[in-house]
Amino acid sequence: MTSENIIEVKNLKKAYADNVVLEDISFTVKKSEKVVLIGPSGGGKSTLLRCLNKLEGDYSGNVIFEGEDLNGASTDKIRTLRQKMGMVFQQFNLFPNKTVLENITFAPIKLKVATSDEAKEHAYMLLEQVGLSEKANAYPQSLSGGQQQRVAIARALAMNPEVMLFDEPTSALDPEVVGDVLSVMEKLAADGMTMIIVTHEMSFAQNVADKVLFMDKGKIADSGNPKYIFEESENMRTKSFLSKVM
Amino acid sequence: MFDFLKQYYPVFLEGTAQTILISIIGIIIGILLGLVFVMLRLSKIKVLSYIARVYIAIVRGTPAMIQVMLIYYTLSNVLAVPQIQFLGSGLDRVIPGSIALGINSGAYTAEIFRSGIISISKGQTEAGISLGLSERTTMFSIVLPQAIRNILPALGNEFISLVKESSVLFYIGVQEVTAEALGVGGTLYNFVPPLIVAAAIYFVLTFVLSQLMQIVEKRMGRKYTQSN
Repeated sequence: MTSENIIEVKNLKKAYADNVVLEDISFTVKKSEKVVLIGPSGGGKSTLLRCLNKLEGDYSGNVIFEGEDLNGASTDKIRTLRQKMGMVFQQFNLFPNKTVLENITFAPIKLKVATSDEAKEHAYMLLEQVGLSEKANAYPQSLSGGQQQRVAIARALAMNPEVMLFDEPTSALDPEVVGDVLSVMEKLAADGMTMIIVTHEMSFAQNVADKVLFMDKGKIADSGNPKYIFEESENMRTKSFLSKVM
Repeated sequence: MFDFLKQYYPVFLEGTAQTILISIIGIIIGILLGLVFVMLRLSKIKVLSYIARVYIAIVRGTPAMIQVMLIYYTLSNVLAVPQIQFLGSGLDRVIPGSIALGINSGAYTAEIFRSGIISISKGQTEAGISLGLSERTTMFSIVLPQAIRNILPALGNEFISLVKESSVLFYIGVQEVTAEALGVGGTLYNFVPPLIVAAAIYFVLTFVLSQLMQIVEKRMGRKYTQSN
């Protein structure tokens, strides 16, 4: 692991009119690092994640990705930076009018990062990686939630991102398929992918995270390695949250 | 009662062809204008959105007949269309007439497109742009195809209305079905039978159109659920 910061967030603040949803957010993510965001609902975890690739409109502060500040960057620049940040959503958001294969190859072909043949070859490789090779020509609606989410991961990986952002990837899934998605993510983590994950799966967070950020009321209330957060922290809010969810 | 058809059927055929022609042109212009105005309407730039709102409000709030006449008399002053006869009518009437139908239909089509676009979850747009696609590509390749599938029934209704409303072009002298029926009625001193024929023709045209729309709907619906 190098010590190079791939993402640096400085004094990020976001408000909707008078309602401040994020404040004083600063942290760094190193290459290959796994950062997990935990905390109560409404604490700002998803909003923070969505600020990282500028899905959330205006905010103040800086999000520096590979040396470039996203805040204030041109539309074209933001688009290029987004190509390097894969995102996986709670609701999968696969394109229902495209097959699994087309879902995965659409962006690489459209953005000319691969030829049609290269994109397909890559897609089959990714489908194998997520265990869904036989579903290449299926439409998303015929797949289970767990399968859809694995396709969504493959779709994000198809752009060869530097970072993967996961926004509660298992929250909309039936309990029996959560494991399938988590094991794909664990494999990805083991392969050295830089990952930022919002999740309520505490044991997953404990296993995978290099750094855990505990978010509450729009602020990073506590942070550290999993051992510190889950076992040693004396922070009242962290302790009270963990006692409720574990 | 319908003996006159033996003598006058070519007139009705010509009128039918004219109705089909002006309807097709009207529908095409309507779709194009609908697309343009829905993009303006949904634009983040307030002025553009406002222009689209004004267009839609004016078209919806005034009679089609007056719109057709206004456009015809205005266009014929500025646009020198040659008075070539085609299917029994001068192109100087057919062209402004079909443009007027399209302008009228465009307002309704824009609203139908808008209802379709807002029915597609925001997650689809977010998924597209998170991959690095532009908002335009996301709109045209991902959101719009899904929206169109959802609005096919409403679009079908609009096309059918347009076929029927094309009879207003009678007022500017386009010899479409209604005009032909009234002409035949005049020579027969009896308007009822030719008008029944005209009604039957409209019915057949709109029936065929609705069947076509159903076929398209089925085709697009089947695709989504295919499992391999």
